[in-house]
This record gives sequence, structure tokens and C-alpha cells, in this order.
Amino acid sequence: MNRRDFLKVVGTGAAVVSVPALVSGCAQKMVKPDKVAGAHGTYFDQFGVDTGLIRRTLEKGLSRGGDFADVYLQHKIEHWVGMEDNEVNRAYSTIDLGAGIRVLKGDATGFAYCEDLTEEALLAAAETAAAVADAGFGGRPKPLAAVKVDNHYSVEVPWTDVGIDKKLPIIQRTNEKARGRDKRIIKVTIYLSDTTSRILVANSEGLLAEDDRPMALLVASCVAQDQGKIEVGYQTGSSRDGLGFFSNQLVDRVAHEAADYTTMLFDAVEAPVGELPVVLAPGVTGILLHEAMGHGFEADFNRKGISIYADRIGKKIAPDFVTIYDDGTNERLRGSINIDDEGTAGQKTPLVEKGILRSYMHDRISADHYKTKSTGSGRRQSFRYPPVPRMRNTYMINGPHKPEEIIKSVKKGLYAEVFSNGQVQIGAGDFTFFLKHGRMIEDGKLTKVVKDANLIGSGPKVLEAVEMVGDDMQMFSGGGMCGKDGQRVPVGFGLPTVKAGGMSIGGRRS
Amino acid sequence: MSKTLLEQAKEVVVKAQKFGAQGVRASLGRSRNSEVEWRDGKLDRLRESTSMSVGVTLYVDGRYSSNSSSDLRPEALDDFLKEAVAMTRVLAEDKHRKLPDPARFKDRFEGDLKVFDQAGAEAVTAVNRRQTAKDLEAAARSGPKADQIISVTSSCSDSVSESAKVTSNGMEGIRQSSTFVVFTETSVKDEGGRKPEGWYYAVTRRRDELPPVEKVGGEATRRAFMDVGAKPEKSGEYDCIIENRVAARLMGGLLGPLSGRSIQQKRSFLADKMGQDVLGKVLTITDDPFVVGGLGSRTYDGEGMSLKKMPVFEKGVLRTFYLDTYYASKLGKQPTTGGQSNLVFAGGDKDLEGLLKAMGKGILVTGFSGGNSNSATGDFSIGIRGQWIENGKIVRPVAEMNLAGNHLEFWKKLAELGNDPNLYSSWRTPSLRFEKIQFSGV
Repeated sequence: MNRRDFLKVVGTGAAVVSVPALVSGCAQKMVKPDKVAGAHGTYFDQFGVDTGLIRRTLEKGLSRGGDFADVYLQHKIEHWVGMEDNEVNRAYSTIDLGAGIRVLKGDATGFAYCEDLTEEALLAAAETAAAVADAGFGGRPKPLAAVKVDNHYSVEVPWTDVGIDKKLPIIQRTNEKARGRDKRIIKVTIYLSDTTSRILVANSEGLLAEDDRPMALLVASCVAQDQGKIEVGYQTGSSRDGLGFFSNQLVDRVAHEAADYTTMLFDAVEAPVGELPVVLAPGVTGILLHEAMGHGFEADFNRKGISIYADRIGKKIAPDFVTIYDDGTNERLRGSINIDDEGTAGQKTPLVEKGILRSYMHDRISADHYKTKSTGSGRRQSFRYPPVPRMRNTYMINGPHKPEEIIKSVKKGLYAEVFSNGQVQIGAGDFTFFLKHGRMIEDGKLTKVVKDANLIGSGPKVLEAVEMVGDDMQMFSGGGMCGKDGQRVPVGFGLPTVKAGGMSIGGRRS
Repeated sequence: MSKTLLEQAKEVVVKAQKFGAQGVRASLGRSRNSEVEWRDGKLDRLRESTSMSVGVTLYVDGRYSSNSSSDLRPEALDDFLKEAVAMTRVLAEDKHRKLPDPARFKDRFEGDLKVFDQAGAEAVTAVNRRQTAKDLEAAARSGPKADQIISVTSSCSDSVSESAKVTSNGMEGIRQSSTFVVFTETSVKDEGGRKPEGWYYAVTRRRDELPPVEKVGGEATRRAFMDVGAKPEKSGEYDCIIENRVAARLMGGLLGPLSGRSIQQKRSFLADKMGQDVLGKVLTITDDPFVVGGLGSRTYDGEGMSLKKMPVFEKGVLRTFYLDTYYASKLGKQPTTGGQSNLVFAGGDKDLEGLLKAMGKGILVTGFSGGNSNSATGDFSIGIRGQWIENGKIVRPVAEMNLAGNHLEFWKKLAELGNDPNLYSSWRTPSLRFEKIQFSGV
């Protein structure tokens, strides 16, 4: 195969369909990038961006006296296939290609991007970013050396080689399983999406790192009708994985839970109003950590002094049995990253150890500010954004209590099972999260289903008021998304059964 | 420049047809964005970009897909289109998927909507932006208690976009627009390590419509100090006013269920309410695509259909569903348009102060947090912050409270609207005064 043919194949959403005429077996092998950049060149060589051009771009970035420059190249291919009213009759595909160029001068950032990887476009973007500094002269970037890191999500066949025909049976099975679960289900919509994001980060200190990030997502939504009443519900399953993620077992669980989460609402009563003890079921309730403390631990908010957790490192902020990590190294989890979007290797960061605040989540800027090392938390939505400190997979590890004993300890309270979304005020510390459904706890037993209530509390107060932590930690296996600074990134979270106080429930039953 | 975009869009349509699509809609977009962010006396972030992308909707042998790419190299674009056509062929047929009836492309509004301020966009320089961001910070720090300020972030940005749309059944359109944005956020000291934030922003189509920096910076700081010492009130039923700039958050739960998809998929509590009074007698909302300088102003929609003014609610009576060609066909109705342009609220003769006086005692809601609304039932629950009001005056700040209800009951408690539409959003919501609303707190 000559270079031109090769370009043609990798330059598009190659192999969207498993039709032999369109993609040759040879091309399929060659589109897989080497895991580690180096002697064989990088993935982006095929777009005409070799290490020489990357260095010239970095040099232009430093040309006005910037302290540091980096280049972020990305080629991302997404497919989305959907079913409605029993037919798989819609599909979307998106190709994103471009480069983000950043120049730092002290704490200040100059940033520009281009969607055209020609030398002219790259140098023009670098010149724009360089304007953050104004010395009129600059240093030279160091020679680039490839970084080797562990891979937490290798896939045998990249999504770009998986045809849509392989996805149809998965969607059809999800639909059948959801509809078959309960006669009251009247509408089901399913979609399956996959993403392949190839990135390269190179900086003026000589770092060169590449990553190949797969993502798989299945979403099932149901509408059910019972005696004139309508309820809606959904479930998701997601992983940094290939086609193999969608096992029958996974598909059936997502379909059944989507149906069950919908029909159980017919038996629901209004959620109560006011402050009650809350027991969080394991899993998706980890969104509590994300909102109540996670964002407050992101170092940019602390560097600016505007987080309620600013200046609390080394202080006791929770009981002894509370230990919380933010982790980019979990095998195939949605928030895992082999390298962050500044090229720092993926790592596991202790945020709270035995109740003591140990570390914020740092990117390069905040690490410099705090004279510490980056925790590998610099993330971006795409090449169109500069990186900022973000969460990856945030979870609390097991504590000393049994789940049954936790529920038993509550006379009257709320057992919160499934949450859909949340938000936090970084400075004031108050957070909310939205309960899709849960149950009342009465005399130590789970009773009536409750639904659709916003829970609200103060992050630091809720952390202090954690009374019991179970030994049944579960990671949420669905499609978590976090928005900050106008950027959305995939995240994971997890929690064991936890008893907490200090939260007000926004129901309608006084 | 625009001529080139239109020509490119036409070429994409021709190519996609050559590769096997019978129906094609192509949209080409190009934009330039520049932003300066300033923090605590220093430049914090400088951002610039120019971007261009192509979107192609395909109708192939009765099948449908939609595709976009920012990789516009000619050979990559050809392969992208070929792959997209091949992918579409594998899907199930769907007789409801079709381009709009060409009759819907006619009678396009021809007046000047004044959404593109070329002179303003050309006049702004990197130096101007930096100066404006600096001035915003100075304004934020110019009031009393400046020593209680922890941090001020301000930004100044502008963008220019142009796009072209072409369909294989005869629609062609180009448009240009500009936006100018100023923003300030102030964090201040409070007890117990709390650091309340206040923000203010303005976004306009014309550069000379931006408010003075004194207003933007000063208002951000004033709002931050207003939140110092915020605590929840007791749970109970209170009168309340929802401030104009946050009211859209609540409206979302009302407007979303009007979409064709929600109705056809039986996910809408408003599906069987056409022609009925569902909101009480007070609310009249018009979808007006032709507001001069409006942030949602346009002459054709995403499908290329010519737009017109539509009543959405008239004195509480539901008048319009948002139906695109596809869901209208599935429902056996005529399409309207797939989404909102500008929402304009009629009536209202009091400003916020007048509304506060009319309420006397209750809660002024100035912010929402989290929460959600169930489109099938209309139930919602959402976190709020704001001010406790007595005798029409602000008494103390409140936070960590929830507002819950059902849209079909909630809007019937709307007593009156203010005359203060939020001009910095395409949903030009005024402040809204309600009576006897359930809040939960401590």
C-alpha cells in the first residue's frame, strides 16, 4: 500500500461498515497506532505532522518569551447508532481533527487551536498562543523523547475497524430484553455509541506521549404506562473498551435495569420534605463524592483561593474510616487515562486518608504554584480547550460497617439508590444531587419507593457527618459525564453503603 | 467569504449525491473566537481560534444518517462521505425521514435582523479586550469592603460566525452573526471558610449594546456580598419571585416536553394539552425569530425551513408544539419548527422593585442549583439560593433550600410578570412572581 492510500484510510472514519469492498485487511492493521511513540514515528505522521514540525511549532510558541509550550494533537472518531419504535433507523458519525497549542508565562495561559494540520496553520496558532508573553525573544524547546506508560484499556480491535453491522444485534437484544421485562413498557429507545480518540502531547521540556482512548456506551430508555399513568426511566453501561464490553450479560443487565427503574416508579410515593438521615446505596451514589468534595479538591479553585477547601491540606475533614481516591489507573473504567492531557502518566491520588485531606488534584499550572508534582489530573474535552484540573474515577474505599447494620440503624430516613445529576457551589460549598429513585427507611427496614427529589447539603458538613461506611464498595458502571469551565469529560465514581446526615430532601410530602 | 462557503456546501451536496444519496442537506460553518481572561491584576488566559466544519444529513434508499467532520482535506472529505453513505445503507428504512417540503423554504423573512456587527467585530483588538477585562476587575473592586474580596475573575470575548446551508431539493441560505461578551465573577470572605461568589455577564450581538464595565463588575461584587451568611429557612409554603436571569432554568422543564420527539415518544406531560389552559391566565409566550438583535434571531431553522412568529402559550393556553419534519410526519401533523428561536414574554408593568413590593414577604430566588424535571409527569425539584424579603425589602440571604412542584400546578400560582426581560439570553424571561410555593429547608 502506498502512502497516499494509507492517508485516505486513516484520514476518515475508516471502516464504519464492515463491508469488505471498502476497507482492506491491510489497512485495518495499519491504522492501529503504536502504543508508544518513538522510532517508528507517531500516529500523526500520517497527517504530515512529524516530530520536526512539532518542534518548530513549540519553538514558535516560545518565541515571545513564554516559559513553557505544549502541542496537543487529536484525531477522534465517534459513531452513534440508535433505535426507536423497534427500528435501528438512525446513525450519526463525527470526525474531529485538530491541534491545541498552549504557552505558559507564570500562571498565565495563551491558547489557540487549529483544525488544519498544515505547517502554516500550526505555526499561526503557535504565534497566537505565544502572545501571552511579550519579551520579544524566546528559548528553544528540548529534543523530544517518547514516554512509555502502562496501558489500562488496550483493545484488540479498535472501534474504527468495527462495522455498524456488528452493533445492530446488540441494540436489538437490548430492545427485546427491555420490552420483554414488563408488559407495561410501551416505548424503548436504545443507542450505542463508540469513540476512538488518538492523542499526542509534546512539550518544550522534551516530553512526547501518545494515547489511544477507546470508549463504549450503551443507553436504554423506557416509557411505561399503567392505568393512564406514564413513567420514564433509563440505564447506561460504559467502559473504555471495545466491542467485547457488550457481553450478553452486560446488555441484559442494562436492559432489565432500564425497565425495572421505570416500572418501579408506579408504586412510588412523594419524597419527604426537610432534613432526614440519608443512607446512600453503593455505586452511582458516588456522585455525592464528585459534587460534595471532588470539585472543591480541584487545585485551580484552591490556587485562586476560592474553594471552601482552600488551605485545609493536612486537616481533619472527615471521620477516621473515610478514605477517598481519585484514580486514573483503574482497568477500563470510564474515567481512566493512561496519560493526562498534559502527558503526565496516569496515577492514583489519595484525596482523603483516614479523614485527613491529603492532596488536591493538580495540573501543571497548579502543581507549579504549590511547588509539588502534577497528579496527572490535567484534562481537556478536546484539542479546542486548554487543560484544567479534573476528576478521573473518584471513590471511597470500604469502611468497617455492614450494609444491613447501616440500614438497621435508621429509625426514619431515606435510602438513596439512583441519582441522575448534581451541582456544587465551589465557594459556598453547598451541593445538590438529584434522586431518581430510592426508598424510605422506617424502623430499620426499607419500605416505600420515592422518586424525583433534589437533595441538598453543605459539602464540608456532610463529610464531617458521615456516620457509617459499609464494606461493599461498588464502582458505577454507567456513562458519567462531568462539566466544568465549559468542558465535558467522562468520569467514574464509586461508593460503599454510607450513612450521612446534614442533607435536606426536596420532596413535596411534609 | 460567504459565497465560498455556499459554493462549498453545494459541492458537498453534489458529491454526496454522486456517492449514492438521493437527499442531502449540507451545512458549512466557520467561526472565529477571541477571549481574554483576567484575574487578580494579571492576565490569566488568552484564547483564540478559527474553526470550520461540515455537517451532512443523508437520505439514502429511504434511510437516514447525520454526520460531521472538521477534517476538510479533499480526499478525507470524499472518503468521509462515501463511508457515511455506506453506513446509512445498513440501517432500517424509515418512511418518515425526508427533506422538508420545498414549499417550506419559501417566504423567507427578508428584513435585517441586525445580528452581525461587522464594524464592531473589526474594531475590537487584543489590546481593547485586555483593557476591558482589566476595567471590569477595577470596577468589581471599586466598592466598599474591597478588603473582603478574595478573588475577581473577568473576561472579555467576541466571536464571528458564518454558515451556509444547502439542500438537494432547492434550499440555499447563508448567515453571519457576531457576539460580544463581558463577564465578571467575585469571591468574597464569609464565616466558616465559606466563599460566596457573585457573577454578572452580558452577551450582545452588537458591540455598542454592551453595558458599561462599572455595571458588570459592580453587580458581580454586590451579588457576592449579598450571599454572605446565607442559611436555609424553615421548610414551608412561601410567596416567591424568580429573578429574570435565572427563570429560564425553570422554563426548560416546560418547553422540553413540547418537542415532537417527547410527544411522539409519550414522554410529555403536555402531549394531550393542546388548546387547553395549562398555565393559568397570566403567561403569554411568543416564539419570535425576528427580534432585532436577538440572540436567537434567524430566518430559517436547522432543516432550512423558513421561520415565522408563533404563539406558544396565550394567556396560559397551549398553542404550539415544536415539530420538525420527521416527528411531524410520525404524528401525522404539519411541521412547525424543531426548536426555539427567541422566546418573548408579554405583559408585565413592574420592575423587580415593584414586584418585591407587591410580594411583601417571601423569597427572591436568585440562583438554582442542580435539580431536574420529569418530562413525562411534570414533577420537578430544584435547589435554590436567594434572599428573604420582608415589607418588599431584602432582609437576609438564603441558601441550601429546594423548590419542588408539578408544572401543571406550579404555573397556575403565577401572579404576575415583571417588565424586565433578560436581554442576554434568547429566552427573554422577565422576573416572575408566584404565590404559595412549597420550599424545603431545615
